[in-house]
Amino acid sequence: MKITIDGKACEAEKGEFILQIARRNNIYIPTLCHSDALPGLASCRLCIVKVIDRGRAKIVTSCIFPVSKEVEVVTNDDEIKRMRKNIVMLLKVRCPENKEVDELAKVFGVEEKRVKRFKLDPEENCVLCGLCAKACKELGTGAISTVNRGMYKEVATPYHEPSPECIGCASCANVCPTNAIKVVDKDGERKIWGKKFKMVKCDLCGEYFATEEHVKYAYDRLGVEKPEKLMCSSCKKKVTAKDIKSIFENA
Amino acid sequence: MLIKQQNEDLSGQDVIEKYPKEQRFTLAILQDIQRKYKYIPREALENLAKYLDTPVSRLYGMATFYKALSLTPKGENIITVCDGTACHVAGSMVVLDELEKAIGIGPGETTENLKFSINTVNCIGCCAIAPVMMINDKYYGNLTPKLVEEILSEYRSESDE
Amino acid sequence: MSDKKTVNICCGTGCLAKGSMEVYEEMKAQIAKLGANAEVNVKLKATGCDGLCEKGPVLKIYPDDIAYFKVKVEDVEDVVKKTLMNGEIIEKLLYFETATKQRLRNHKESEFCKRQYKIALRNVGEIDPISLEDYVERGGYKALKKAIGSMKPEDVLEEISKSGLRGRGGAGFPTGRKWKTAADIDTSPIYVVCNGDEGDPGAFMDRSIMEGDPNSVIEGMTLCAYAVGGTNGFAYIRDEYGLAVENMQKAINKAKEENLLGNNILGTDFSFDIQIVRGGGAFVCGESTALMSSIEGMVGEPRAKYIHTTEKGLWGQPTVLNNVETWANVPIIIEKGGDWYHAIGTMEKSKGTKVFSLVGKVKNTGLVEVPMGTTLREIIYDIGGGVLNDRKFKAVQIGGPSGGCLPAEYLDLPVDYDTLVKADSMMGSGGMIVMDDRTCMVDVTRYYLSFLAEESCGKCVPCREGVKRMLEILTDICDGNGKEGDIEELLEICSMTSKASLCSLGKSAPNPVKAAIRYFRDEFEEHINNKRCRAGVCKELTTFGIDEDKCIGCDMCKKNCPADCITGEIKKPHAIDADKCVRCGNCMNICKFNAVKVL
Repeated sequence: MKITIDGKACEAEKGEFILQIARRNNIYIPTLCHSDALPGLASCRLCIVKVIDRGRAKIVTSCIFPVSKEVEVVTNDDEIKRMRKNIVMLLKVRCPENKEVDELAKVFGVEEKRVKRFKLDPEENCVLCGLCAKACKELGTGAISTVNRGMYKEVATPYHEPSPECIGCASCANVCPTNAIKVVDKDGERKIWGKKFKMVKCDLCGEYFATEEHVKYAYDRLGVEKPEKLMCSSCKKKVTAKDIKSIFENA
Repeated sequence: MLIKQQNEDLSGQDVIEKYPKEQRFTLAILQDIQRKYKYIPREALENLAKYLDTPVSRLYGMATFYKALSLTPKGENIITVCDGTACHVAGSMVVLDELEKAIGIGPGETTENLKFSINTVNCIGCCAIAPVMMINDKYYGNLTPKLVEEILSEYRSESDE
Repeated sequence: MSDKKTVNICCGTGCLAKGSMEVYEEMKAQIAKLGANAEVNVKLKATGCDGLCEKGPVLKIYPDDIAYFKVKVEDVEDVVKKTLMNGEIIEKLLYFETATKQRLRNHKESEFCKRQYKIALRNVGEIDPISLEDYVERGGYKALKKAIGSMKPEDVLEEISKSGLRGRGGAGFPTGRKWKTAADIDTSPIYVVCNGDEGDPGAFMDRSIMEGDPNSVIEGMTLCAYAVGGTNGFAYIRDEYGLAVENMQKAINKAKEENLLGNNILGTDFSFDIQIVRGGGAFVCGESTALMSSIEGMVGEPRAKYIHTTEKGLWGQPTVLNNVETWANVPIIIEKGGDWYHAIGTMEKSKGTKVFSLVGKVKNTGLVEVPMGTTLREIIYDIGGGVLNDRKFKAVQIGGPSGGCLPAEYLDLPVDYDTLVKADSMMGSGGMIVMDDRTCMVDVTRYYLSFLAEESCGKCVPCREGVKRMLEILTDICDGNGKEGDIEELLEICSMTSKASLCSLGKSAPNPVKAAIRYFRDEFEEHINNKRCRAGVCKELTTFGIDEDKCIGCDMCKKNCPADCITGEIKKPHAIDADKCVRCGNCMNICKFNAVKVL
């Protein structure tokens, strides 16, 4: 089937999300909480677009809106631009000193004067997108979650104490769009969410690359014995590339 | 009179066991634990996580999301002040001020000696006698600052026995 | 041969709070004293809410049709000896009609009652809620027997569609259309859910129905299950409603015993059961997807409704969710036919009746049920008796924290889904709060936003951050720190939050703000620019003073001042010491001569 995005006709499968279709057709829609690996949060609302169906327009988040009819989509008219600007303004008010949020604020033209009117917390970096909690649940052990509700909502470990479940995989920090999660790797030790971990070295290059607990967890989950020699992911890529090269050369 | 026993079993096992090991009973089990202990002991939360084979963080998230659940012990006498619109317009804030003056705590707090807890609720449904507060299961309506003080003194003398 | 009489005493939560249980117990004791050979045989019933909560405890005597109000324990002996035994009326307990200044024997002739049309509340206040016999005696379960006995599921759907019934929870979605969507899906299980999470502050319609006539909800849900192929039912009841949970559970148990619920209903192969799920203290769980998340055992965070929950709801299955009041209307629609219901009311697109909880600064506080099309003026003045203490009407808030206030110019607006939305308000669940000149519209707006800030689930930016910052602005304004440009900033945030929020809590959060600014902008500007609160509510912006020309020196204000800041001799004008004054406003409330002013 076909849908129109900003006047451009785009092929679409029934049930596909507008964001996928747009990206495929090189139409840019801004996002913050979207991740191809962890889709579906729809909490930042930055990807909103207008869907016009039988003359009626509604505002939807393109990341999770499934197309089922041949509709017309508008991604960037004045009304949407204004709404996105207000969303980003509120994020800048929440995280006034955050670098990533500041970049967004510049792109959307948020006026300093509006931001300064409010009570600002220079220490806040989290935009509560929910990606970290989702990553921990799906890739890790579910050590962190969102706690409380409304304006008191935050991401934390149970009882705000170092979590026995946390394996120090740092999946949370890796997916965070605003670098709000502090991971300190120093001298073979990692500190994250108030917990200290010992890290393991890559047997090939000698760099520390993961925590002991993470390595154990990964192999337990795979149901495979931990190998004698451990490799970090860049070495694994190099070794695999070498193997593929030799297969081709010896073919 | 809430008497805390030294070796009280805080695991909530008997409550938890009554339910099948399914996610959908999570809230009901937590509420039963809350009813039994007047709060959710950490031990019970962690025990439930094992029972349902779910991360502790999920249960902690639920316990902090739902206001019917509390992670800290509540006072012996729970004062619930209605802050529904009718009560608000009739002066529930004045009632809260008076309570703060009298026992030194605000909504969501518990006195040090665990005698009183105050929480606000949005509409008990007694709008005709606004402003209203409940102490445990008793209703008190048409409150004025003087009345609040009188009512409290009844409870204060009781608990000093 | 003894005279048979029935005494109904309202034991809904509102009257219980006024001591009706003590009255009930005393009546029980007095009746027992009469003994078995008494000339009068008295049956005592604890009923649900009669509706006139302001005048509770309410006691009604049948078949004499006598109604007594504000009954105290001390009055009970007289009621038994004089009225029940001798037919003698106790004048002081009768309903006093302020319009005609007369006492009415049967309050059904009062302005309060005769202008109402009770359909959803047809049994509330008239029956013992947990007595199946009482319910059946008044026509209960006739509809279910008719449906299962002589109607096809499509016929039941047809009657609901014809009736024009729209969701009474607030959104007003056509009920017939919702049911049909589920009925058209061939799968199992199909869920039927009752939304009993009445969270609007000031609304207690659903509570009264669940407490006072639980079978009407149960029968309604069972009829739906029959019509759409429903297999399992859930009644999600707000945690704070203990009595509602208790009565609903007792009614469910009794219905199952009589084969009106559960397996093989009325001996057929139609089976449907209802489980009660208690809420956890979260207003957001009144939103349908959040409610379903809660039933599934998760936090009550809403989800996108791009695919309707009627198609994919609980555990991904078709789910028909309706409000308590909607369910209560279903049995009588099936019994009397959709056309009968369709003919009620005077509005094109809103049919039937609506229950309102009329509260706030109104004389007759309570529950009223009126045909669609009744004007606000009729509800507030004719039925409600007008503004409390005859103060000046300022506004009426309809739709709770998702609705908007309407000023006096709109009193002739008819009650109707679409008309109210056009005026920047909404029907909502039916909470109607009357406000007088001592209500500050800025403070009320701030109050609604602080409620929403507490209750927001916090998932999406427009609601969590938008409501938080709007609350910050309004709190600043009420504290005397309003800044130039604040009104524009409020409206700017509103414009985004109303469209970009994930769920209807966020989308409707701007409504009270927009309505208040639309109709009371000058009050906002006065707070910001003149640092004055004309209603005398915002303490930082209020200074009370006494008009010497109006003050007669009755001393009432001085006697009731908690801060001892009023001076003056009797029969001489009094004065307020502004430095000692705590701004409680008691003096202004008490003064019968309009002598206390906000300077």
